Amino acid sequence: MRLTNTIYKLSLIFLFACVCSISQAQERGDVLIKNGTVLTITNGTLENTDVLIRDGKISKIGKGLKAASGTREIDAAGKYVMPGIIDAHSHIALSSINEATSPVTAEVWTGDALDPLDISIYRALAGGVTISHALHGSANAIGGQSETIKHRYGTVDMDGLRMEGAPRTIKFALGENPTRVHGERSGIVPKTRMGVEAVFRSSFSEAKQYMEKWEVYNSDKGKKGFKGSAPEYNLRLEALADILKGNIIVHCHSYRADEIYMLMQVFKDFGIKKLVFQHVNEGFKVAPELAEFGAMASVFADWWDYKFEVYYSTAYNAAILTKNGVVTSINSDSGELIRHLYHEAAKTQKYGDLSDDEALKLITINPAKQLGIEKRVGSLEEGKDGDVAIFSAHPLSIYTVPLYTIVDGVVKFDKENDPADMRIYPDPEETIDVTLHDREDEDRCMDMGYSNYLLTDK
Amino acid sequence: MKERKSTFSQRRIYMLLLFFAVLTTSVYGQDLPAITSTYVIKNANIIQGPGRKIEMGTLVIKDGVITAVGKNVEVPATAQVVEADSMYIYAGFIEGLSHTGQEEPKEVPGGRGRSDVKDPGNPPNDIAGIDPERRASDLLNASDKSVNDMRELGFTAANVVPHGRMLPGQGALVLLTGESADEMLYKENTVLFSQLDGAPGVYPSTVMAVMAKYRELYRQAEQAKAYEAKYKNKASGMSRPNTSRVLQAFYPVLEKQQRVAFKAEDVLDIERVLILKKDLGFNLILSEVKQGWDLTDKIKASGAEVLLSLNLPEMEEEKTDSTMTDSTSVEKKEKTAVDIEREELEARKKQMILNYYTQPALFKSKGIEFGFSTLGVKSSDVKDVLIKFIENGLTEDQALAALTTAPAQILGVSSIMGTLDEGKMANFFITDKPYFDKEANVKYTFVDGQMHNLKDKPGKKGNGEKAVDIKGKWSYSSETPQGVVNGVITFKGEPGDYSGSISNSSTDDSTDFNDITVDGNSVVFEFSIVSDGETLKITITMNIEGETFEGTMTAGEYGSFPIKGDKMPEEN
Repeated sequence: MRLTNTIYKLSLIFLFACVCSISQAQERGDVLIKNGTVLTITNGTLENTDVLIRDGKISKIGKGLKAASGTREIDAAGKYVMPGIIDAHSHIALSSINEATSPVTAEVWTGDALDPLDISIYRALAGGVTISHALHGSANAIGGQSETIKHRYGTVDMDGLRMEGAPRTIKFALGENPTRVHGERSGIVPKTRMGVEAVFRSSFSEAKQYMEKWEVYNSDKGKKGFKGSAPEYNLRLEALADILKGNIIVHCHSYRADEIYMLMQVFKDFGIKKLVFQHVNEGFKVAPELAEFGAMASVFADWWDYKFEVYYSTAYNAAILTKNGVVTSINSDSGELIRHLYHEAAKTQKYGDLSDDEALKLITINPAKQLGIEKRVGSLEEGKDGDVAIFSAHPLSIYTVPLYTIVDGVVKFDKENDPADMRIYPDPEETIDVTLHDREDEDRCMDMGYSNYLLTDK
Repeated sequence: MKERKSTFSQRRIYMLLLFFAVLTTSVYGQDLPAITSTYVIKNANIIQGPGRKIEMGTLVIKDGVITAVGKNVEVPATAQVVEADSMYIYAGFIEGLSHTGQEEPKEVPGGRGRSDVKDPGNPPNDIAGIDPERRASDLLNASDKSVNDMRELGFTAANVVPHGRMLPGQGALVLLTGESADEMLYKENTVLFSQLDGAPGVYPSTVMAVMAKYRELYRQAEQAKAYEAKYKNKASGMSRPNTSRVLQAFYPVLEKQQRVAFKAEDVLDIERVLILKKDLGFNLILSEVKQGWDLTDKIKASGAEVLLSLNLPEMEEEKTDSTMTDSTSVEKKEKTAVDIEREELEARKKQMILNYYTQPALFKSKGIEFGFSTLGVKSSDVKDVLIKFIENGLTEDQALAALTTAPAQILGVSSIMGTLDEGKMANFFITDKPYFDKEANVKYTFVDGQMHNLKDKPGKKGNGEKAVDIKGKWSYSSETPQGVVNGVITFKGEPGDYSGSISNSSTDDSTDFNDITVDGNSVVFEFSIVSDGETLKITITMNIEGETFEGTMTAGEYGSFPIKGDKMPEEN
């Protein structure tokens, strides 16, 4: 009995500890950042300047600011303060990514598959990233709707991750992925690049008919003696109709210039304006056309040649697009790359000589524009969200280290206080295997005795 | 080349058939026909309901109904006395949601699946897992082993639902007694069972597609129902309404005549189901909840009824440290970084597991009532889990309520089930010690007044670490694509030096084998059968728990099939 009692007491302690570690959803905080070099992005660089965040919003940027007593102060003297980095193409924090069973899945939504427990969110925070675009995969010509998330790590609440008020987005895909998944594997349209275009045109045409049917029904149903039935509710066509109405921003996976141009033609024909190309490796070939359409581009800094259609690429892509007036961002599409997007942005200075501001825009205000959230985030301005990253050196320097990442005025990453185990729910059935290797051999890849692979034929 | 291969494999299948031919399944229950329908239990501790105990009381039942319960009760002369002096009587437990008596769907090679679908984006409903019109009562098998297993634990009624994916079908409240589905059935269409499980390879395959499809079906059903109502009112001039049975299956839910029992095991699935409830507005029984401890406010605010899972990650017993033997010598040494990290990880894991077991007490403290669902639990684990709930803060009365009155309430049968009161259905069981005592045995279970006399199980579970003694005869049965195979496995010899043979009851063939590995309670052996010059190697793995085993039989390239069986009584 006594043992049982002890266990019970112990369990209460654990319970209490656990409740405390789970933070409230959409918590907003106060922080005063003192004497930093403030990279505002939209208003130049301000030396020895303070940034005051109150109740999750930037309330003041200036010198000699004071905060209410008890407000956390961060001494940023000699450090660099920039807006939280935004990743316009990511798949972290998702339980499922690709509903790869149909060439059109406009009705599905990654917002239903959010996973706030994903440790990748914390890793992204450790790279200064405060917002990412949790995109559907690229298997389908018209993929799923996607969710813009704030990296409020520490909650189990799916709703706590959603960036409330962010516009709806949807994933499209061109080229090899949809033709391989549906054409090659299932033997259905689209088998070719022509087929992909046909999928878009037939889907939008169907959605138009659907909208018209509803219009007719809605105008007739009040009439006397009306006997008809409503068009059958179709969630897929509802979503496509919302694209036609301009309520959803299309983010399209793309590589080849001819297809990029094709999609712009399709969108012109259907009167759709909100268009962001993802990857867009051959964007440099059609940069003026993209600018003219008003389409934006989210690219890799220097990743290519991973499949046939990605062969013709250049690391100058981001710079060429930028210089042609295309709103361009650099994305990660990876849970690893997301941790050093600031390095990726810096590459555009080596390949294309972009200025500091131009390079930083690629990971801040420009992705914000692509997600339709530029009025809220992407630069340090009074009234904007308190999403901030603080670096030890200029964020475009190879020597820089992210020190603090703040979301809605809450410090979510603090390098000085970075616990070893940041998992929210450990796997209760995990096999614990701790193996610390003797690193000496591994670190000396040039001196491995007999097994020096550099000297063999392999 | 292709053709040759197919003749070759046909011959092999024929061989398999020879060895493993279909035979009727054995009968589990051995209850004798009752002589009378009136029973009396005297001098017993009657736990009428949570917190209501009569010491040295008498219970009389007649024709399936409790006719008297109390201290001074008149006993009819015709009553058969049940030998249960000083024993404990409890109201029969109720499974809030389970698959008891529902046979697991057979994964038949050559059956319908992804390969039969031309366009995976538009699969037929049965492959997509959209069968809300199916009824658990149509899929009920009275002789399924699970019925007996649950009855032996004191369960007398169950809200059963079919196996399946997104929309497996309609639930039915059944009594755990009877020879046929009709005898078992108490109430049809209790719940619309739903899950977030996608269909492999076809639409909807992911959780996000399941949710989208659910929303669409629900809205379509609303539309169809509204139109149908108009049509019923005045059909003339109107097109014939929709006759989709899938949509019609939602109508009682739309009318709030039926609730959706939605399986929501982990924290994210619970949130997703609550999102669907909020979007669509159905009445919800949040079922098979495993990780709800951080969501108590949300769950409470949703107004959903709750069924907690009994199928939880294993909690290791407080041992005197199992690594003691090798750590005694290490004790004086400094802890290495590896030791420290391992300890920290172990501690977090332990703390995580504890959440599952403190959850019932937490829910009670937050004012959330709950019953239990038993969708995936092994019957042999049920009591251990209940005892651990009690060790972690749940009171015995609260546990009892979650097993009796709470599910009766949720299922709308409080007036006839859940307690031992006059007029209620004679669903109860008798134990030799208080139920939550580890040593307690259920002696009799009465369901609808029908007595099931349970024999003591010889020998409790082995002490785990030690290899079990497998000597003796074991009956087995396995479901193969060619049908059910059964027979006897015989082990001879001593631990470390076993030999064995396996027989097939339909062909009377017997094959000897020698290579037997026993590791803890797991036994693996291999044998070959030769026919028509071809050899087929068969590997059987048995995981023994007491007197029963479950495992797999792997037959060369034909794949693996589940196999189970029981120890046969020693021959004298």
